Amino acid sequence: MTLTDPNTFNANESPALMARAVDLVKSYGSGEAEVRALNGINVEFARGQLTAVMGPSGSGKSTLMHCMAGLDVPTSGRTFIGDQEIGTLDDSGLTQMRRDRVGFIFQSFNLVPTLSAAENITLPVDLTGRKVDQVWFDFLVDQLGIKDRLTHRPAELSGGQQQRAACARALISRPDLIFADEPTGNLDSNASAELLTFLRRSVTEFHQSIVMVTHDPRAAAFADRVVFLADGTLVGELHEPTADAVLEQMKQLGA
Amino acid sequence: MWRITVKGLRGHKLRLALTALAIVLGVTFVTGTLVLTDTLNNTFTTLFGQVYQNINFEVRGVAAFPASGAAGAIRKPLPESILAAVKAVPGVEVADGGVSGYAQFIAPNGKAITTGGAPTIGSSYSADRRLSSLRLVAGKPPSTSTQVVMDQGTARKYHFSVGNQVRILLPGSPQTFTLSGIVGFGTADNLAGATIAAFNLPTAQRLFGELGHLNTIDVITTPDANKTAVEHGIAAVLPAGVEVVTGQTVAAEQSSAINQSLGFFSTALLVFALISLFVGGFTIFNTFSITVGQRTRELALLRIVGASRRQVFRSVLFEALLLGVGASLVGIGLGVLTASGLETLLKAFGITLPSGSLVFQSRTVFAGLLVGVGVTVVSAISPARQAVKIPPIAAISTYEVAQRESSARRLTIGTVIGVAGIGVLAVGLSQPAIQLVGIGAVGLFIAVGILAPVIARPASSVLGRPLARILGVSGRLGRENSMRSPRRTAQTSAALMVGLALVSTIAVFGASLSKSATGTVSDAVSADYIITAPATGGSDTGLSLGATEAVAAVPGVTRVTNVNSGQFEISRSLATLSSLAPSDLSSTVILNMTSGASAKSLAEGMLLIDTTTANTNHLSVGSVVPVTFAETGPTSMRIGGIFKPNALLGSYLTGSGFFHAHFAATTFPVAVLLATSTGATAPTSAAVKAALRDYPNLTVQTRAAFEKTQQASIDQLLGLVYALLALAILIALIGIVNTLMLSVFERTHEIGLLRAVGMRRRQIRAMIRSEALILSVFGALIGVVVGTGLGVALADSLKQQGITDIVIPFTNLVIFLVLAALLGLVAATWPARRAARLNVLEAIATE
Ligand SMILES: Nc1ncnc2c1ncn2[C@@H]1O[C@H](COP(=O)(O)OP(=O)(O)OP(=O)(O)O)[C@@H](O)[C@H]1O
Ligand SMILES: [Mg+2]
Repeated sequence: MTLTDPNTFNANESPALMARAVDLVKSYGSGEAEVRALNGINVEFARGQLTAVMGPSGSGKSTLMHCMAGLDVPTSGRTFIGDQEIGTLDDSGLTQMRRDRVGFIFQSFNLVPTLSAAENITLPVDLTGRKVDQVWFDFLVDQLGIKDRLTHRPAELSGGQQQRAACARALISRPDLIFADEPTGNLDSNASAELLTFLRRSVTEFHQSIVMVTHDPRAAAFADRVVFLADGTLVGELHEPTADAVLEQMKQLGA
Repeated sequence: MWRITVKGLRGHKLRLALTALAIVLGVTFVTGTLVLTDTLNNTFTTLFGQVYQNINFEVRGVAAFPASGAAGAIRKPLPESILAAVKAVPGVEVADGGVSGYAQFIAPNGKAITTGGAPTIGSSYSADRRLSSLRLVAGKPPSTSTQVVMDQGTARKYHFSVGNQVRILLPGSPQTFTLSGIVGFGTADNLAGATIAAFNLPTAQRLFGELGHLNTIDVITTPDANKTAVEHGIAAVLPAGVEVVTGQTVAAEQSSAINQSLGFFSTALLVFALISLFVGGFTIFNTFSITVGQRTRELALLRIVGASRRQVFRSVLFEALLLGVGASLVGIGLGVLTASGLETLLKAFGITLPSGSLVFQSRTVFAGLLVGVGVTVVSAISPARQAVKIPPIAAISTYEVAQRESSARRLTIGTVIGVAGIGVLAVGLSQPAIQLVGIGAVGLFIAVGILAPVIARPASSVLGRPLARILGVSGRLGRENSMRSPRRTAQTSAALMVGLALVSTIAVFGASLSKSATGTVSDAVSADYIITAPATGGSDTGLSLGATEAVAAVPGVTRVTNVNSGQFEISRSLATLSSLAPSDLSSTVILNMTSGASAKSLAEGMLLIDTTTANTNHLSVGSVVPVTFAETGPTSMRIGGIFKPNALLGSYLTGSGFFHAHFAATTFPVAVLLATSTGATAPTSAAVKAALRDYPNLTVQTRAAFEKTQQASIDQLLGLVYALLALAILIALIGIVNTLMLSVFERTHEIGLLRAVGMRRRQIRAMIRSEALILSVFGALIGVVVGTGLGVALADSLKQQGITDIVIPFTNLVIFLVLAALLGLVAATWPARRAARLNVLEAIATE
C-alpha cells in the first residue's frame, strides 16, 4: 500500500548513503574579513535515518545544510545527494532536484502568506503540475492534526500549526531527503515533542531520511545519530543518543 | 502558480488600485478619442449619405489640382447654358443648378456670428425639394432678391424667427434680408456647426459674383432610366473641363473631407494619450520593481519548494497581465463615458449631431486592450527578470543576500540607449520626421530613467540637506529614506521627469516661437494698420472687397494694399502664392531682398521667392519655373528676386496685376495693409473703425496689437498643450503616491519603532513629506534640464521655418519646479496620514 512504501530511489545509487560532503569548505568575505564557515568537512548521512546536527551558534550548521542542499555554493569541495553531485547542476537541475529529491523545514517563514494552509502544503506538487496524492495528503494532515485548519491562512495559525503545515509540505512530494533547520526553534516543549514524534515516525515507518539542525539535546535524542560541529569542522558524533549523552558532549565542546 | 498570482493580487488591493489607475487613465483617453472620432465619422458619413440620397448625378468643373484632395479642390464654375443641355438628356427627370459663396450673419447685437472653425456657408436654394440638402422646417423658400433662409441652429441660438430682418456679410457690401424660412441640413439642425444662408438662385449668383454661372448641377433620373446610359448621355453634352459624377461619390468626398480634418484632431489627442501611457508605464515598472523587492523572501521560498525560474518570471508577468486587462477594461468603459461627455460638450458649442448613438467599434476595444495590456506587461518585464535573479537562499538567510548589480553596467546600457536616442532624435529633427523625433525622445527618456539611479543618492543627499536643517530629525530621516534606495528614488521620479521634460520642451519651444513671431511681424510689416478677418473655416477669408473701398476713403490713409493669396501649382507641387500692389511697397511691408529687384519685378508680374525656397529648390534670379493656375491653366514665371523669409507673405510673391489675371475675380484678400500720414493715432484708429462699421467680422489692429494677437494665439495653443500634458503629470503623481504608500507599508515596523521611542505624528508626517519633496524635486529638476535641451534642439531645427530666436523662459521653468514640489507634497498627504495613524503596538508586532 502506498503509505508504507519505502522511498523509491535510483537503483544505481548506493543503498545506504543518502547524502555526503567531501572536503567541504565555505568562506564568506575575502582578505582580512574572511570567515571560514566550513573548514574542510567530510560527512555522510545515511538513508532512512534521522541525523541531528549540533554545535554552538556560528559553528556552521546552517551553512553546511545550505551547501549540501544546493542552496549555497561551496568555496571548494563536493557535495552529493545520493550519487548526484550538486556542483554539476545548473539552475534548472537544482530546481528539478528540489522538486523531486529534497524537502525543507525552517525555523520560521515556511509558508507563503497569501495561500491557505492546504494550498501551502500542496504547493510543491502544484508547482510541478502533477496531481496531489489525495490519500497521502489526508493521511499527513490527519496525523499532524491540522485537518480543521486547512482553509486558514498562515497568519491565522499558531506557530506549532504553521510548523506542522510546513512538515506536511516537506513530506507531500515524498522527497528522498528532508533538511530541517531548527524546526522546533520557535516552539514550546509540547509542540516540539509532537513535531519531533512525527518526524521520528516518518523515518521509522516510511523510511524517510532527515537531516535536522538543532540546539536542543532533547530534540537530538529523537535522532539515530548526532554529529557535532565547531568552528566549521566536524568534532564528534553519537549513535542512538540520549539527551544526557548529548548534553555531556555539548559541555565538552563548549569547554 | 496562477493561483499564487491571483491570491497575491487579491491580497494587495490598494497597491493594485493605484497601479491600475495609471493605466485606466491612459486607456480612457485612448478609447474616448477613438469612440468620439468614430462617432463623428459615422455621423458625417450618414449625414452626407442622406443629403445626397436622392441625387443621382452631379455635374461640376474638373478639379484643378487633384493633389489637393477631392473635396477641397478648386473647381471652375460652369456656364449656365450647360443646364439646358443636361435637362435635355434622355432619362433626366430633374436637373437644377446651384452656386455657393461667402455669407456670414450679423447677430442682433451687431456682432458677426462666428462658428469656431466651421464654415459660414452661403448658397442658392434649390426649387426642387428632392434636390436640396436643405429641409425647410418653418416658413417659405426665398423667392425674392431680399429674402433668405437660415439654418435652424443659428436661428435657435440667436432667436431669429420667420419674418425677422437679418444683416448678412457678403463678398461685396453687407445687405439686409428678410427671413422667409428656417432650414435644417438633412436631419440635423446645421452642418457640423456651420451657418447656412440660402438665397434664390439669381440672388445667389449676383451676390457671389457668379452671374451666368453655376457651381454644380444636380440631376435626378427617371425611375426606370438606365443609370449608366444617363451618365454617358450627360457626359456627352459636357464641354471640356466639366465632369459628371454620381451622388454617392460627392457624398463620400464631402464626408471624407470632414473626417480628414477630424483625423488630425484625433491624431493629436492620441499622441497625448500615448504620452500619458508612457508615463504610466514608468509608474507600473516602478511599482512592480518595488513589490518584487518586497516579496523577495516569498519568491525565494517558492523557489525553494520547487518553483522554476520560468514559473517565477511568468507569475510576475501574469500579475501584470491580469492588472493590464482589468485596468484596460475599466478604461475602455470610462472612455465611452468620456466620449459621450465630449459629445455633450460639442452640443454646447453649437455642433449638433443628427444620429445620437455612439459608435463603439470592436477596433476600439482591441486598441484599448492592446495599449493598456501592452504597456503594463512590457513595463513588468524588467521587474520580472529581477524576480528571477532572487536566489532561493534569500528566503531563509538572515544575512543580506548580495544582489547588487554593477552601476558600470547601468552606465553602459544607459549611455548606449541615450546616445542612440539622441542620434535618432537628431536625424528626426533634421529630416524632419516626427515619428523619429518621438522614438528618439522615448529612447532619451528611458536612458535618463536608467542613468538617474547613479546620481539619485548624491542628489537626494544635497536636496535633503536643507530639509534636515529646517525640520530636524524628520527631515533627516526623510533624506535618509530617499538615499537608502537610490534606484527606487530615481524610478519614482522618472515618471515626473518625463512629464516635466515634455512641459519644459513645450515651454522653451513656445517661448522661442512667440518671440520669433513678434520679431517676424516687426520685420515683415511697416504698415500702420492691419485689417484681417477671423478664419471662417471655408476657403474664403470673409474680408469683403467692399471693406477695402470703405477704408480707402478715410482721411489720413495714404495707402491701402490688399494682400491676396491663392493656391497654385509650381514645379508640380501645390503652394500658396501671395500678391501685393507694387507701388509704395516700402510703406506697407518690409521686403529684404538678397538679390533681384522687388517693386520692378512685382510690376512686371515676375515671381519673388524667399531664400529658403531658393536654396532648397536651387533657384536663382532669372530662372524660369512652370506654374499652373486653376483659372487659366499652365504657364511659366520668371524669378525676379529673392527675399529674406517674411512671416506675412509666405514663400512665393507676385504683383497684384499678375495675380488677378490668374485668379477668380471673387478671390478675397487675406489682409489689408494701411499706411497713414499720421502713424497709428487714436483719431485715425477711430476713423478707420468707423469706416468699417458695416463689417463687424473684421479686426483692425495697429502693428503692435497685431503682434500681440499673434503671440496670444500661440499662447492659447500652448495652453491647450499644457492642459493635455497635465494628465501625464497627474499619472506621475499617482506614481509618487503609490511609491510612498508602498514604502510606508514596508516600514510599518520601523515607523512603529520611531513612534514608540517618542516621535510625534506630526514628525512622522513631516518625514514622509520630506521624502516626497526630495522625490519630486529630483524628478522635476532632471525633467526641466532634459526638456530645456529638447526644446532648444527642437527650436533650433526649425530655424529655416522661421524660428529666429531661441528663448529659455527661466521664470516659467522655476515655476514648474516649484509647482512640482508642491504637487509632490500633495501626493504625500495620504501616505503621510496613513503612516501617522499607524497603531504603535500593531506596527511593532508585524514582522
Ligand atoms: N551570508 C554570509 N555572509 C557572511 N558571513 C556569513 C554568511 N553566512 C554565514 N556566515 C558566517 O558563517 C559562520 C557560520 O554561520 P551559520 O549560519 O552556518 O552558523 P550556525 O551554526 O547556523 O549558527 P546558529 O546556530 O546561530 O544558527 C558565522 O560566523 C557567520 O557569521
Ligand atoms: Mg543556523
